[in-house]
Amino acid sequence: MRDKLRKWREENFRNSEQIVDVGEELINEHASKLGDDIWIIYEQVMIAALDCSRDDLAWSCLQELKRQFPDSHRVKRLAGMRLEALESPNPLWMSTQQAARKRKISILRAQGKSSEAIRELNEYLEQFVGDQEAWHELSELYINEHDYAKAAFCLEELMMTNPHNHLYCEQYAEVKYTQGGLENLELARKYFAQALKLNNRNMRALFGLYMSASHIAASPKVSAKVKKDNVKYAAWATSQISRAYQMAGRGKKENKCSVKAVEEMLESMQITMS
Amino acid sequence: MGEVELSCLAYAKMYLHASQFPRSSVNGLLLSSSPAGAAVCITDCVPLLHSHLSLAPITQLALTQVDVWCSQTQQRIVGYYQANACVSDSSPTPCALKIAEKIFEQCNNAVLLMIDGEKMFPGCRVPPIVMYERKDARWALKDKHTIMLRQWEETCSIVNQLFSSGDQTLLVDFDSHLDDITKDWTNQKLNAKIMELISPANGNV
Repeated sequence: MRDKLRKWREENFRNSEQIVDVGEELINEHASKLGDDIWIIYEQVMIAALDCSRDDLAWSCLQELKRQFPDSHRVKRLAGMRLEALESPNPLWMSTQQAARKRKISILRAQGKSSEAIRELNEYLEQFVGDQEAWHELSELYINEHDYAKAAFCLEELMMTNPHNHLYCEQYAEVKYTQGGLENLELARKYFAQALKLNNRNMRALFGLYMSASHIAASPKVSAKVKKDNVKYAAWATSQISRAYQMAGRGKKENKCSVKAVEEMLESMQITMS
Repeated sequence: MGEVELSCLAYAKMYLHASQFPRSSVNGLLLSSSPAGAAVCITDCVPLLHSHLSLAPITQLALTQVDVWCSQTQQRIVGYYQANACVSDSSPTPCALKIAEKIFEQCNNAVLLMIDGEKMFPGCRVPPIVMYERKDARWALKDKHTIMLRQWEETCSIVNQLFSSGDQTLLVDFDSHLDDITKDWTNQKLNAKIMELISPANGNV
């Protein structure tokens, strides 16, 4: 039996139900005969147990590992995986394969293996094209790798399927702003504005609108009309920001500092714009 | 190059910031209230982001706001810190280098501080930080002997006290401020709590 487990480990098989069956029996009936192999078996069985929503088994494996290796980073990561599994969507409707693949990607991410995580995630999305969480995770990975064009593509997918989600609009706008250049700045401004239409209290979108409009207005390449329009947008954003901060600052002595900083910042930026 | 002194207040807040978001990269700015000179005294820090560190708009916004606040409070931005999500890799990312460059343009003994996640456990004997300085047009590791953390044991104890009293939840970074602008990114309340804990150690009144 332990040879079977070893084979599955070495060949990275994700046949979790089988691993749980064999592993559980091995641990319960034959633990004393396993010697030092038992620790790696606990780990293997724990991961498989998470896949099969067997938190009872996962928990007892984790406890054994914690007792034996109290300061181990590897064990801490396993604990993290268990928490992730408990938080993640109900595995009953997500197949074991799907959950296993996502977990593999999370592990790659935690190990800092971004390019592999990206490759796996792309393959995953070819099969599970409707998985919003996966698209968002891919956009984050691309952002971390400074591949803004691909991040924008992922966010476009998300905006298409979630047209009312202000966060996707605002993140898309941030990516466009980061890419830079007049065309991207104009797109950024439009999407910041769209995010505000969907949620007028999104401060990032408000500041983003202010900054993109200000940069466009200050650009020597734009027509007088475009400049005038963007000065208006920026002015509108300024008034909304001031109002929001005044309301926030009311009666709270402790955030007077941040309020003052914003007021002065807006004033100084006004001067450079005109 | 010159000496760098890291105050308990700055260290504690950086540590709390990295601990608050253990699975994300976090960053922030290092401030000094001392006049410019050969030595750099990092007296405070402002935690900035815990998501999308490499996106421009919020970073630019934060830098501008902190700049303004610094001129209001006679402080200067003297450095940048970052803790990577992947704890086994504490090397500066392109984004870290970029921001540090910007700071260097205004402050010629600016420092870049990376938090070493692997050393962030209770009972660790060495400060979990790696510092870089600008040398020959690149960022080079700073000689450990030029970095001073006064009263290291007291600092560790203060950080532990903050965790046991639950005060570590008081920390607000710029990202959290944007989620709820009634939260104060200058952390006046937390600063006061930390200064209270520091004073007995120094015998100051």
